[in-house]
Amino acid sequence: MRRSYLGEFEEIVLLMVAILDGEAYGVSVSQELEQQTGRLVTFGAIHNTLIRLEEKGFVRSELGGATTERGGRRKRLFSITAYGSRTLQDIQQQRSQLWQLIPPTSLKVSGS
Amino acid sequence: MNPTSPTPPRWAQRLLTWLHPDDTLEEVEGDLQELYTYWYQRSGKRQATLRYLLNVVSVLPPLVRRRKQKKSLYVPFSLSPDMIQNYLKIAWRNLSRHKASTLINLSGLTLGVTACLVIYLITSFELSFDTFHPDGERIYRVVGNVRMGKTIETKPIGFIPRAAPQAIRAEVPGIETVAAFHNLHSNVIIPAEHQEPKHFEAGELGADGAQIIIAEPEYFDIFRYDWLAGNPKTSLSEPYKVVLSEQKARTYFGDIPLESILGREVIYRDSIRTTVSGIVKTWNHTTDFAFTDFISAATIRASALKREINLDEWNDIWSASQTFVKLDNSTTPEQVEARFATFAHKHFGPNQGTGDFWLVPALQPLSDVHFNEQYQDNYVRKAHLPTLYGLMGVAVFILLIAAINFINLATAQSVQRTQEIGIRKVLGSNRQSIIAQFMSETLLLTIVAVMLALLLTQPVLAAFEQFIPKGVALDVFNPRILLFLLALLVMTTVLAGLYPSWVLAAYQPSQTLKGQRVPVGHRHDSLRKGLIVFQFTVSLVFIIGMLVIGRQLTYIRDKDLGFSTDAIVLINTPDLEKSKVLAQKIRQLTGVERVTRQWSPPMSEGYMLTRIKYRGTTEIETEASAKVGDEHFVPLYGLKLVAGRNIMPTDTLRELLINQTYARALGFRQPAEAVGKRLHFNGNDYPVAGVVADFHEESLRSPIKSTFIAYIPGLSKDMAVKLATNGQRLSEAKVTLAAIEKVWQQVFPGEEFAYTFLDDSIAKLYEKEQRTAQLVNTATAIAILISCMGLFGLATFTTQQRTREIGVRKVLGASVASLVALLSLDLIKLVVAAIVTASPIAWYMANRWLQDFAYKVDVEWWVFVLAGLLATGIALLTVSFQSVKAAMMNPVRSLRGE
Repeated sequence: MRRSYLGEFEEIVLLMVAILDGEAYGVSVSQELEQQTGRLVTFGAIHNTLIRLEEKGFVRSELGGATTERGGRRKRLFSITAYGSRTLQDIQQQRSQLWQLIPPTSLKVSGS
Repeated sequence: MNPTSPTPPRWAQRLLTWLHPDDTLEEVEGDLQELYTYWYQRSGKRQATLRYLLNVVSVLPPLVRRRKQKKSLYVPFSLSPDMIQNYLKIAWRNLSRHKASTLINLSGLTLGVTACLVIYLITSFELSFDTFHPDGERIYRVVGNVRMGKTIETKPIGFIPRAAPQAIRAEVPGIETVAAFHNLHSNVIIPAEHQEPKHFEAGELGADGAQIIIAEPEYFDIFRYDWLAGNPKTSLSEPYKVVLSEQKARTYFGDIPLESILGREVIYRDSIRTTVSGIVKTWNHTTDFAFTDFISAATIRASALKREINLDEWNDIWSASQTFVKLDNSTTPEQVEARFATFAHKHFGPNQGTGDFWLVPALQPLSDVHFNEQYQDNYVRKAHLPTLYGLMGVAVFILLIAAINFINLATAQSVQRTQEIGIRKVLGSNRQSIIAQFMSETLLLTIVAVMLALLLTQPVLAAFEQFIPKGVALDVFNPRILLFLLALLVMTTVLAGLYPSWVLAAYQPSQTLKGQRVPVGHRHDSLRKGLIVFQFTVSLVFIIGMLVIGRQLTYIRDKDLGFSTDAIVLINTPDLEKSKVLAQKIRQLTGVERVTRQWSPPMSEGYMLTRIKYRGTTEIETEASAKVGDEHFVPLYGLKLVAGRNIMPTDTLRELLINQTYARALGFRQPAEAVGKRLHFNGNDYPVAGVVADFHEESLRSPIKSTFIAYIPGLSKDMAVKLATNGQRLSEAKVTLAAIEKVWQQVFPGEEFAYTFLDDSIAKLYEKEQRTAQLVNTATAIAILISCMGLFGLATFTTQQRTREIGVRKVLGASVASLVALLSLDLIKLVVAAIVTASPIAWYMANRWLQDFAYKVDVEWWVFVLAGLLATGIALLTVSFQSVKAAMMNPVRSLRGE
């Protein structure tokens, strides 16, 4: 059961795309990321990650409508693919399995 | 909210448009604009601009990731073996189809590559001299500035007194090793046990100055050798020892084991019996220190040589005695030269010796020895650095001209190949593979050109033997030459091929396949024209250079030097007293018109300056050049007396002649006023007997100086003989010269008789210029040839394209003449543009070159006109063949195809 490797940042961005549900594009992803996680990243990092995610098949994109605040330029809207959402779910499931395996004492000790 | 949304800095936006990948530009621009507005509202203009810039940078290459193109077709990699094979096949077909342009390109490139290769061989040869010595950067020759006699002028000299090396060793700190050596002119005798001894005459084995030296043991600490036999530490420590190079040992003793050569005897100068104490391996690098016999320096004091080589002499210098030093690691040459100043004060000056010899030693780096003509010696063949740089420039320009031919022809022909490219693209070629296709055509052509150049180089080297230093040879398997050829190959291919293939690959199939003809050629017209202008500019600069140099050389040849050089033979004698006898005997020979005893002819390389005083109303002390000769000097050289009389026959110095320049310098308006005035020099007053008209005494590079002529008996060792040339026959002169030689043998038995014609010795002063002239002429010829070939090809092409136009014009009544004019007009415009560009460049360069001469031709306007006419003529001639043919063609034939 091999799947494409998903980096930590890639995973966060993919989650943002999922959260924004069809309204994800460069600006919205970067603002959402800032609001939800407090991380300030360059636009280039987001741009590159979105392209990479698309290459790997986790998201798909299409050019959307133009608005005046963008000087009439179209935006590229991203949405998560079936493969992308399955991958997120896989990760989530694997994590919870792993969480289950942690003996309760161990967490307490490290947490206190 | 602001009604007008804020805008980020314009230049940053432009940067983004310019550098960001095209396919994601729109969305990124939009996103960043939106973000800017957002930041602006949140944190103000400054913050927003700052963050905008940072984020623009984050989406510029190399940081930005590019979207991958979606591929629906299989496209093989442009450089896969199959594709390369295909490129070569198509290239071969194309080259063989367009035979004319292939031939033009090939011959142009071959010439260019040959020129580059030959020039590379010469320059790398010259620049490689003595670069291999370990610690070479610490090795210096001890040279100096010398002042002799009562003059104030010092002149640079390449050697120091024979007593100096020993003193430097003892007194000057910071020097690791000092080694003196002396060139020896000698015959060699090799005694053998059971047979006749072998004799080698002096000079028989090559220039003696470059073969036999007497060296101190330290010589081998400075110049390192591989020792095949003997001990480097002790070989030269005793008198009567000699170290030989391996090659020389073989010449002397044949193929016997090297060890058995040790101890064998070698006799120099018939009496100096040395034994072989070491054998060293000959260097296989280029070097000026190609000595082969190293006699131990201790031999000098132990033998008769001490009379010839006085090792305690402080007040004279000899070019045969040279000194090299190796500095300490921590000492700079400046430090040593500062110590030399103190050294000079101690050993030279008014209280030392005769008091009129003064020398300050200096250091000349080893790397300078091969190039600096200032410092004379007996063994180095000097190379002229500016000429070498000039050669490199010429090579680059010739190759450029050849590459331009290629670019012009290829872009002109591209019209014919648009359809081929269209089909290729439709069938799935991408840009890279089309570029690769055309580059491989260029590469193939260049490879053939390089091969041909390799074949041509040897004959070219042979043909230009006289300018090419001995030892320059083509060794194809030398890795450096291979590397150079490879670099040349790549450079030429890229230079010539890149632009045309770029252009060709850019054609859009939809355009090229739609119609029969696409007016693509016009786009490159201006580039092509520019390149032709460049080619002609280079050719014109060469033509103008050739004309100016030619004129200056004619001027030198025809200039009235102020004295006669006809049928005058110069003879140097070894002895003063006997030379009087010789002169007397020569005078009695038939065929001899006159003989003068002198120090040097009126014009020569060397000259003698003296301070001389005139006590008139004010005291005028000047520096004057002295010409020494007896009463025959003036009539023999045909010098004109403008006032007074010639000097009287005498045995001592009694009176002087001065030249007009000197008379003027002393303030006399009329030369006659100077006659009878007294001049003071050498501690005495001498009257001026007469004034001679000015004559040139150095080459025309220097102005005429104040000069006086006097008979100084002690300096009149040499002589000039004027031969009677009533019949002007060379054979007669030979008879007379043979008679003179006979007389010479009576006076100086055993000495070699040598003479030079004054004409030749003067011509030698201009050797460098003669060589430059030949170089520029050759370069001009090659440049014009290559440019014309290119022009011819281009003309063939453009007239072919205009056949229909010409046909229509003819049908409508145009005459052949008007058609030829029409076809040539464009070209004339280009040549005129080239003249305009070339003239200032050539004018500047010609003036720079002429600056060397005090007496020179002016660079006149008609030179440029003449060069322009020449270039136009040559260009028209080249094109006319094609244009006349096109104009004469029957229009029925050209129009039938419609």
